[in-house]
Amino acid sequence: MSVEGYELRRIGQHGVVTVPAEVDVTNAGEVRQALLAAASQDLPILIIDMSGTTFCDSTGVQAIVAAYQQAAANGTGLRLVATAALNILTVIGVDQLIPIYPDLEAALAART
Amino acid sequence: MPEAAAGGAGGGVVTAPVSRAGLEDRLRDIQAITDAALSRLDDRELLAELLERTRAILRADTAAVLLLDFASGELIATAAAGLEEEVRQGVRIPVGRGFAGRIAAGHQPVILDRVDHTTVRNPILLAKGIRALIGVPLIAGGKVIGVLHVGSQTSREFNSDDVELLQLAADRAATAVHSLMTQDDRIAAQALQRSLLPFALPVSDGAEMAVRYVPGEGAVGGDWYDVFTLPSGQLGIVIGDVTGSGLQAAVIMGRMRSTLRAYALETSDPAEVLSRLDRKMQHFEPGAVATVAYAVFDPGLDRVRICSAGHYPPVIASPGQPARLAGIPPGLLIGAAPGAARKVASVDISPGTLMCFYTDGLIERRGHPIDHGLALLCQAVTAQDPDAACASVMAAMVGGEPVQDDIAVLVFRRQLSRRW
Repeated sequence: MSVEGYELRRIGQHGVVTVPAEVDVTNAGEVRQALLAAASQDLPILIIDMSGTTFCDSTGVQAIVAAYQQAAANGTGLRLVATAALNILTVIGVDQLIPIYPDLEAALAART
Repeated sequence: MPEAAAGGAGGGVVTAPVSRAGLEDRLRDIQAITDAALSRLDDRELLAELLERTRAILRADTAAVLLLDFASGELIATAAAGLEEEVRQGVRIPVGRGFAGRIAAGHQPVILDRVDHTTVRNPILLAKGIRALIGVPLIAGGKVIGVLHVGSQTSREFNSDDVELLQLAADRAATAVHSLMTQDDRIAAQALQRSLLPFALPVSDGAEMAVRYVPGEGAVGGDWYDVFTLPSGQLGIVIGDVTGSGLQAAVIMGRMRSTLRAYALETSDPAEVLSRLDRKMQHFEPGAVATVAYAVFDPGLDRVRICSAGHYPPVIASPGQPARLAGIPPGLLIGAAPGAARKVASVDISPGTLMCFYTDGLIERRGHPIDHGLALLCQAVTAQDPDAACASVMAAMVGGEPVQDDIAVLVFRRQLSRRW
C-alpha cells in the first residue's frame, strides 16, 4: 500500500521514503499520505529522505509531524535526512523530535 | 440482482428506446436550469429548482441531494423534492453505508430495483414506499462532495439513459454547489479572520506599532497577530500561523487566539503560556499544527521575553545598526508532541529599537531557500517609523507579486525618548 510516486524502499530492516524537491500546498497532501502509509507499516525504523528537498513550507512540515505521530503510535523509530531543508526543520523544532542526518548513509548507520 | 453498478456502458442495465431528439430535449432541459441557476440563484434555490426539474424529467417521485460533511464523513440531506422529511429530520448517512453512502464511497452510480432494509439505511425511504432508486455522486475537483438520487414509488427499472441524465444534472449541480460552498467558506473565513484581528492596536505608553495583513490568493489561511496589555502593565505581542487554509484553519486560529489570551492572564512566563496552549491544542484539536511566537514586554519596554513554538524569530533593528534575527532558541511547533521543552530568550530594548514579527508567507518563496528570504528581510528592516517600516518590508518582500500564502507583519518600536 503505497502512494504512487512515493515507493517505500527497504534497506535491511529500514524503510526509506523519498520526499520531492519541493513540498508545498500543491503536493503536501500526497506527501502526507505517503508518509502516513509508510509510518503504518510496523517497520522498526523509517527514514524520511529529504536530501533532495530544497523547499518545504508549513504544509510539508505538517505532513512530517503527522508521520511522526503515526510512527510513535506504531513504535516505529523515525529519522530524517535533510540538508537544504535543515534550516526550516530547525526553526520549527522538528530536530528536537526527530533525529536529522546529513545523508542517507549516516541515517542508516545510526544506532539510536 | 437487486443492485447494479451502473458505470460505463451499463452492463446488464436495460436501455430504453429513447430517440436521439428526445434525449437532446432532456439534456437541454437540464442545461437550461443549471446555467440559469448558476448566474442568479443561491445555493439552496439552485438545488431546489434542479431537484424539481430532475424529478419531472425522470418521471420520478422523489429527488434528494445529500452533501458530504468532511468533518464527520457523513452525507447530510440538504435538499429534497417529494422527500422533504429527509432534510427536515436531518438525515445523516455515513460514507460506505446505505444506498447514498455506497455511491459516495464507490464514486459510482448505483441503481436499486429492490428497496428494503437490506439495500437502504434510511427508514424514510422505506416509509415513503420507494420501490426503485437511482443515484449518482456529485463530484467537484476530483472529489465526491455529495450524492444526488431520485426514487420511484412504483416498481420500475431505471436504465443507463437515466443514469446519464442524472449524472449530467449532478455534474452541473456539483460545480455550482462546490463553487458556492468554496465562496461561502472563503467569505466566512475572511469575516472570521477580520473579526479576530484587532481593529485598533492598543495604545501603550512608549510603544508605536503598525501592521500589514494580506490574505493569500490561494485560500485564506490561519495567520494571526494579537496585541494586548496585561493587568501588570506588560505588553503582549503574538504572531502565529495555523497550518492549512480555509474556514477550518481560521476557526482553529480563533480558538488558539482566545486560549493564548486566557493563559496570558494566568502567567507572564511566555514559555508557560505556550506550553499550556500546546497541551490544550493537542487534547482538543488533535491533528492541528501551528507555529506561534509570544513576546512579553516589561512595563517600561526596556526588555522583552520571547518564546517561539516553531515560529521564525522576529527581526530586531536598533538605530544606526543593521537589522538582525533575534537570537531566540527554536522550540517545537504547537501540536506535534506532548511535553516539549520551551525556552525563553530575554532581549534588551533600547529607545528607538524596532522589532518586526511576521509569518512565513513573507519570506517563503518556491525556488528560493529560506535563508535568502530571511536575509532579504533583514536588509529591508530599519529602525524607523513602524508604518514606514511595514511599507518598506512589504515593498521589498512582496512588491507586485501575487501572494499565495497569507502574510501578517507586525512592527513594534520603542519610542525614542523625548529628550533624545
